[in-house]
Amino acid sequence: MTHRAPIKLHPADDAALIARLRTRFPATADLAASPDRRQFLKVMAASLSLAGLAGCTDDDPRDQEVPPVNQAQGADPATRLHYASAALLDGFANGILVTTINGRPINIEGNPAHPWSRGGTDVFGQASILGLYDPDRSQIVQQYGRETSWEAFRAGIAGPFAQLRANGGRGLRLLTGPFTSPTLAAQIAALRSVFPDMHWHSHAAIGREALYASTERVFGRPLETILRIENARVIVALDGDFLDAGPHQVGTAKSWSAARKSAAAENRLLVTYSAGSVPNLTAAKADHAITASPTELILLAGAFLAAATHQPAPELPAHLAPWFKSAAGALTEARGAGIFQAGLFAAPEVLDTAHRINAALGNTSRTVVYTAPIAPQGDSHQSLAQAMQEGQVQTLVLLDTNPVYDAPENLDFAAALQKVPLKIHTGLYADETALRCDWHLPLAHPLESWSDARAPDGTVTVLQPCIAPLTSGRTAPEILSLLTEATPQSAFALVRQTWKLSDEDWQKAILEGFIPNTAAQPENPLPLVGKDGVGGPIVGKQPPTALTLAFRPDPTIWDGTHSNNAWLQELPKPLSKLVWENAIWISPGHATTHNIAQGDLVKITAGDKTLTGPAFLAPGQADDVISITLGYGRQIPNQLATGLGIDATTLRSTETPWHLPNITLTRTGETHILATTIAHTKLDAGAGTEIFIRTQPLGAEPIAAHQPTLYPGKQDDGRAWGMVIDLDSCIGCNACITACQSENNIAVVGRDQVIAGREMHWLRIEAETVPGTQGAGFMPVPCMNCEDAPCEIGCPVEATLHDHEGLNLMVYNRCIGTRACSGYCPYKVRRFNYFDYSAGAAPSLRQQRNPDVTVRAEGVMEKCTYCVQRIAQARIDADLSDGKIPDGTVRTACQSACPTDAITFGDMADPTSKVAKAKASARNYALLGELNTRPRTTYLARLAPGAEG
Amino acid sequence: MRQLFAPGADAVLRLFIFAIIGGLFLAALVVGGVAHSTYVTQVGIAPEQPVPFSHKHHSGELGIDCRYCHTGVETTASAGLPPTQTCMTCHSQIWTGAPMLAPVRASFATNTPLHWVRVNRVPDYVYFNHAIHIAKGVGCTTCHGDIDGMQLTARANAFEMVWCLTCHRNPAPNLRPAGQVFNMHWQPPPDQAARGATLIRANHIRGAAALTDCSICHR
Repeated sequence: MTHRAPIKLHPADDAALIARLRTRFPATADLAASPDRRQFLKVMAASLSLAGLAGCTDDDPRDQEVPPVNQAQGADPATRLHYASAALLDGFANGILVTTINGRPINIEGNPAHPWSRGGTDVFGQASILGLYDPDRSQIVQQYGRETSWEAFRAGIAGPFAQLRANGGRGLRLLTGPFTSPTLAAQIAALRSVFPDMHWHSHAAIGREALYASTERVFGRPLETILRIENARVIVALDGDFLDAGPHQVGTAKSWSAARKSAAAENRLLVTYSAGSVPNLTAAKADHAITASPTELILLAGAFLAAATHQPAPELPAHLAPWFKSAAGALTEARGAGIFQAGLFAAPEVLDTAHRINAALGNTSRTVVYTAPIAPQGDSHQSLAQAMQEGQVQTLVLLDTNPVYDAPENLDFAAALQKVPLKIHTGLYADETALRCDWHLPLAHPLESWSDARAPDGTVTVLQPCIAPLTSGRTAPEILSLLTEATPQSAFALVRQTWKLSDEDWQKAILEGFIPNTAAQPENPLPLVGKDGVGGPIVGKQPPTALTLAFRPDPTIWDGTHSNNAWLQELPKPLSKLVWENAIWISPGHATTHNIAQGDLVKITAGDKTLTGPAFLAPGQADDVISITLGYGRQIPNQLATGLGIDATTLRSTETPWHLPNITLTRTGETHILATTIAHTKLDAGAGTEIFIRTQPLGAEPIAAHQPTLYPGKQDDGRAWGMVIDLDSCIGCNACITACQSENNIAVVGRDQVIAGREMHWLRIEAETVPGTQGAGFMPVPCMNCEDAPCEIGCPVEATLHDHEGLNLMVYNRCIGTRACSGYCPYKVRRFNYFDYSAGAAPSLRQQRNPDVTVRAEGVMEKCTYCVQRIAQARIDADLSDGKIPDGTVRTACQSACPTDAITFGDMADPTSKVAKAKASARNYALLGELNTRPRTTYLARLAPGAEG
Repeated sequence: MRQLFAPGADAVLRLFIFAIIGGLFLAALVVGGVAHSTYVTQVGIAPEQPVPFSHKHHSGELGIDCRYCHTGVETTASAGLPPTQTCMTCHSQIWTGAPMLAPVRASFATNTPLHWVRVNRVPDYVYFNHAIHIAKGVGCTTCHGDIDGMQLTARANAFEMVWCLTCHRNPAPNLRPAGQVFNMHWQPPPDQAARGATLIRANHIRGAAALTDCSICHR
């Protein structure tokens, strides 16, 4: 297999190339002038490198059929095979099943057998399939930026490493990114035995050090905190994040939604109380949510602890008192069945108090479980930076980490790196750190490697490759083996020897996607007495009027590791619906008093550092808190993420990783157009009174009303496909949108087109949050497949019509692009291909496409089809056997991705099906039902706290 | 006052009008003719293949069943072409030195696949499934013609949508009992209408309305 370098366009060539392209393609002149110039050039370069206009010559590749030379039994090119593996986020595993066809992975589904993820996925897992085929991935070893080979690398480091072996590894330091792989841990231990004086450091942008430090303060040793929500009746979250993006999201959200559903079945509510300074998913899904500043959160924590330990409650501000009374009452009443949660970014005082409260209320070992840390931690990155500054580091090996970009600014990693004579970097991309290192070694993507990882509960998954490596990358344990052993071992050998399983157990583990009984054992720690903070009042350190800057992980980019993934860049963030950039969130109250409008460029000043960025008004944010997400402002040239957003790390320091106090915010007078999907599909509510996301207390009367109609009933041939979306379960995580994009070959349109309202996602999530009161939540809006569809009336060529199973079909080859159907659609779920969005994809990205779904060309309309390709396949399979499709055989992509099982899909004509039962629920209603479109997609109203509070 | 138009102007005008109308009509005939011509549909034209494989010899004279090579036809959407391995099951023992088979031997030896030219092709937005057609009683020769008689493989039918719809609207004339699906010389018996109707019931074939739903073929 030959490896070609990705196409690099040097600045000097840009102008000449653009001029040439403008004369050849005059219509693209506007595109070339836009800020997306780099993207345009990459698109054009990729298109130009192809073999001309296919289909117009005799060399159309589709005119050939190329069977393999040897075909293994059962591996025929048209059949899908599923491999169990894991998707990694900060090293933590979520079990997945990878669908492959003809030897290449095309789609990711959850693994229902996995004890942690139980079939759910998150956006990072779904989007990782695109990362596998990313043409910007490092293909080959580089030295000083020039391409070379693994052999040259071995030869080049032979001398320095022989010296290190002789002196016991003095001067050798290893910096790893976050990982949970036991094989890698074993390799690091092996490295230490060969180099005893070596130091191993860990670095993560969204580090868990604060969590482990908190348990160390409270219990005397670092511990992992796992929530057992299935045993809980009340949850109180202070700056909580248990439903937000992160390694824990899939399993925790699944437990939460299952607990909520079973509580509802017993006619009680699993109540969540949330207090936070920055709105997030946990706050949106809470039944009682309030906004509190960071100081107030610390006060509240103290008050909860006082309530839990029967101490007199401290004085609280008036706006917090009623909420606190209700929350504390519920929490203390539910002794042993309550959860007090503080998130990753909560203040240390709040984190510590959370553990003490749970201990005092007897929640430990019932609803809150402690285990040994799942992610191995080395020494801190501060100590490494200090050692580098002092010249103690001779050789630095960086494994899958990018500290030049995402380490706190006060470490000044870039300057410290210059003092190290030999720097070896490994990563998926030649990122900011790689550019400053001597060697850059390409890493293998998790989907093409033998590896292992642990889920947040400790369960081990062995990752198996789903395709032969696309690049010359190797896994991290392989690279360490290369450094320590004369004959380096393969990734498979390294993983196999970590797990001493019989052949039969090994096969079973690979097949099922996890090794049974590897979950971490719960411990029963007791909080240390006599330390600071027990029982006594907790006082915040800053005066209440100063502004605080809060850093948050980005819900679609995380910390920047996924910034080159086009799907994730174009995914609207759950609450702000921003795409392709981040913004500075300020509260509407603060914006009004300081006369800041949405999109105004504002400048944050912290000491001698400043950061300028666009303002975004976030309902529910505390007035004295400004927040910003990580992961933007990348500096590497010629990649997707270059120049997008603002780099929050420039203001981050090791003392204040999550909250930076005493900042000032000033207007610069300029404005910036924010790319957001919020205003594009506003359903006309008429006088602003309609709330589309309905809420309903338990046991209330049904809200749906039957409307009379003049149209005759639809004739189904026995099957009637329908969908019900449970708004109580939907947490707005966006996994469904990414799954739909992956399954249906949905194109990425770029920032400018999104600003023009032309994003192509078939599924959108409406977010309605009401500040100060219970958030209304999230509503996924796919095509409703209306029985009386207005779009079918509007189409002049019958390109959209009904079939006998109730689906509203979209026939691309008939569509002539009048867009009348979109005009007639009251839900605005139809998307038009204004340009040939799918044409410019790099050849490697085309490998990801699903061959069962047409790739749409310019000028056709598209929309959610209820995954008609899956329905058709199920129908054919049924017709080949006994003609019946059992309930649950057809799962739409969105349904299958959802971690909270919010989407139910099936045959409504079958009275025993889940969807038929859901539609009979008292909470079932249709969006804009009064329009009499009779949508097949209906919703279950979100549960509201009833009279009992 | 002098006339603007000479007496012959009428004739010229009429000539032009009829010429334009006639021309449009002729153009429509030409375009229609070209669209259905073998230049566009490639019916009956055998493209040049890397190896001049003869169905007449293998299927007709030797009697090898279709499924020996086209293995996916009963179970998957695509009937598939045989891997080089399948050719070598015989040709490693017979005609082992034939120059005509040199590309096959080379493919097997160097592990490089053979690039066959596609004869039967439908557009990318049409999703055809072989397995269901075979299961419901549509035979190979119904769509692919007299393969047994083709020295070199050519397309037998144009695979235009109207051709598929003709059968989907009324499958009875084209249905066979299960044992006859792979019979290369099957002809419909005189009472095919009645037999076809029985087969529709026996094979649980849907009515024309459901079979002509767009979602049956287009996704």
